[in-house]
Amino acid sequence: MIAFQNVSKYYEHQGVLKNITFSVQKGEMAFLTGPSGAGKSTLLKLMYLAEWPDEGDIVIEDFHLQSLKPPEIPLLRRSIGVVFQDFKLINNLTVFDNVAMALRIKGVGEKEIKNLVSVALKKVHLRHLSDSYPRSLSGGEQQRVVIARAIVTEPLVLLADEPTGNLDPNTSIDIIKLFEEINLQGTTILIATHNRELFRNTGRRVLKLDGGNLVGEEVG
Amino acid sequence: MTLAYSFKSAFQSLCREKWINILSMLTVASSLLIITLTAFFLYNVELVASHLPDRFSLVAYLNDNISQEEIQGIVDTLKRRDDIAALKYISKDDAIKELKQTLKDTRYILEGLNENPLSSSIEIRLKRDFVTSASAKRISEEIKKVSGIDDVYYGEKVAEAIYLLKKSLQNMSIIIFITISTGVVFVAYSTVKILFYRRKEEIEIIKLLGATKGFIRMPFLIEGGTIGFFGGILGIIGALLFYLAITYRLSMVIPMLKTLVFPLEILILLPITGIALGIVGSVIAIGRLKL
Repeated sequence: MIAFQNVSKYYEHQGVLKNITFSVQKGEMAFLTGPSGAGKSTLLKLMYLAEWPDEGDIVIEDFHLQSLKPPEIPLLRRSIGVVFQDFKLINNLTVFDNVAMALRIKGVGEKEIKNLVSVALKKVHLRHLSDSYPRSLSGGEQQRVVIARAIVTEPLVLLADEPTGNLDPNTSIDIIKLFEEINLQGTTILIATHNRELFRNTGRRVLKLDGGNLVGEEVG
Repeated sequence: MTLAYSFKSAFQSLCREKWINILSMLTVASSLLIITLTAFFLYNVELVASHLPDRFSLVAYLNDNISQEEIQGIVDTLKRRDDIAALKYISKDDAIKELKQTLKDTRYILEGLNENPLSSSIEIRLKRDFVTSASAKRISEEIKKVSGIDDVYYGEKVAEAIYLLKKSLQNMSIIIFITISTGVVFVAYSTVKILFYRRKEEIEIIKLLGATKGFIRMPFLIEGGTIGFFGGILGIIGALLFYLAITYRLSMVIPMLKTLVFPLEILILLPITGIALGIVGSVIAIGRLKL
């Protein structure tokens, strides 16, 4: 479950998010859309505390971010899978180790890591590239590694920031199908995208953001 | 599992940045070698100095015409003291015999003396802890009060010198240890700081994936400890080569060097010291992490 209550964020006194209130129910898959600079990425960053809200309260599952103590931050981040827009892959680690990193941080045993990473890479059709390094991969392949890393821990909440930005239309549809499969297992998903094709005819709720304001919602 | 990963990550980083790490290990080794050689030198000087108190003694001169019973009484009184290690009674006759033996070729000086001018005496050796100028002075004054004792002589300057030598050696070793240790900590600090900045992007990523401070810190602490450990091992090799060089080669020219002793404790202490200093440097380098 994701809940924003009157959340605002300012950069140098300029409001990039203004009094945002919305919620995404447990097990729901929703989209967040808007033009570039609308505040989509900032809104996602507030959820895994890469940025801190200046006003309001955010609740992610059992975590009340306003009252979160520093030692609890890693626990929050481990409960969330994030597909970063700029990938955030570690270039000196192989694809396997990049995906495995999320599990190692959780303290999962190496034997289990081997199985879980293998399954995650299979889901994004990258098993054959597990020994490759990120720099040798195309943009689309790197994006799929990031998706594998985000889902390998079976997080309670999955956040995706422009997850199909570097993918061709067919692969994009495959990725959305993959998200839907994950959602079927009960994971709450919020996908930020400016590509309206992604949520057209999905029947999913779409939150519309513009100029830092939540301007409405529709069904895709 | 996390610890196993930390070790793997640390050793991967040590191999990846091998030149900077080798350079740091050699710098740490040189610093630890200086500590070792200082310890080696001080250990041997201390060994020699430790025998000096055994040679320090007080001499209590007895009154003339003192009876045998009175002498026995004085000896018994002195034996009861807990600051005295050993006593030796020297009669007038023994004293003149000893003097004649010492004078050897110039013993004619004593010719013409009608009677033995020397006094009988008791040579007193103090326990090690009491061989200081202050203690010797106090003890001599107390002994002087014993009936039958005319005067007490002791080498005040010798006692003072022994005490000062021991104190200076201790102080010097502490100063050298602190100075060089600070240097080793600084080397580990600089190296780990560089490695930390080189991996800053990676650290930011794993923070966002939920890594704890401990998970982030551990590989760097292991790296610092490893640099210190191998620095210690190289330091030992250097010290042993130095020891072999002076005992086998230089001792041909200066035979006294053959008696030098290599303290074996260094073989264990040096790597441990290296690890400890390396970890301290790493802790300072990483500082306070913000999640």
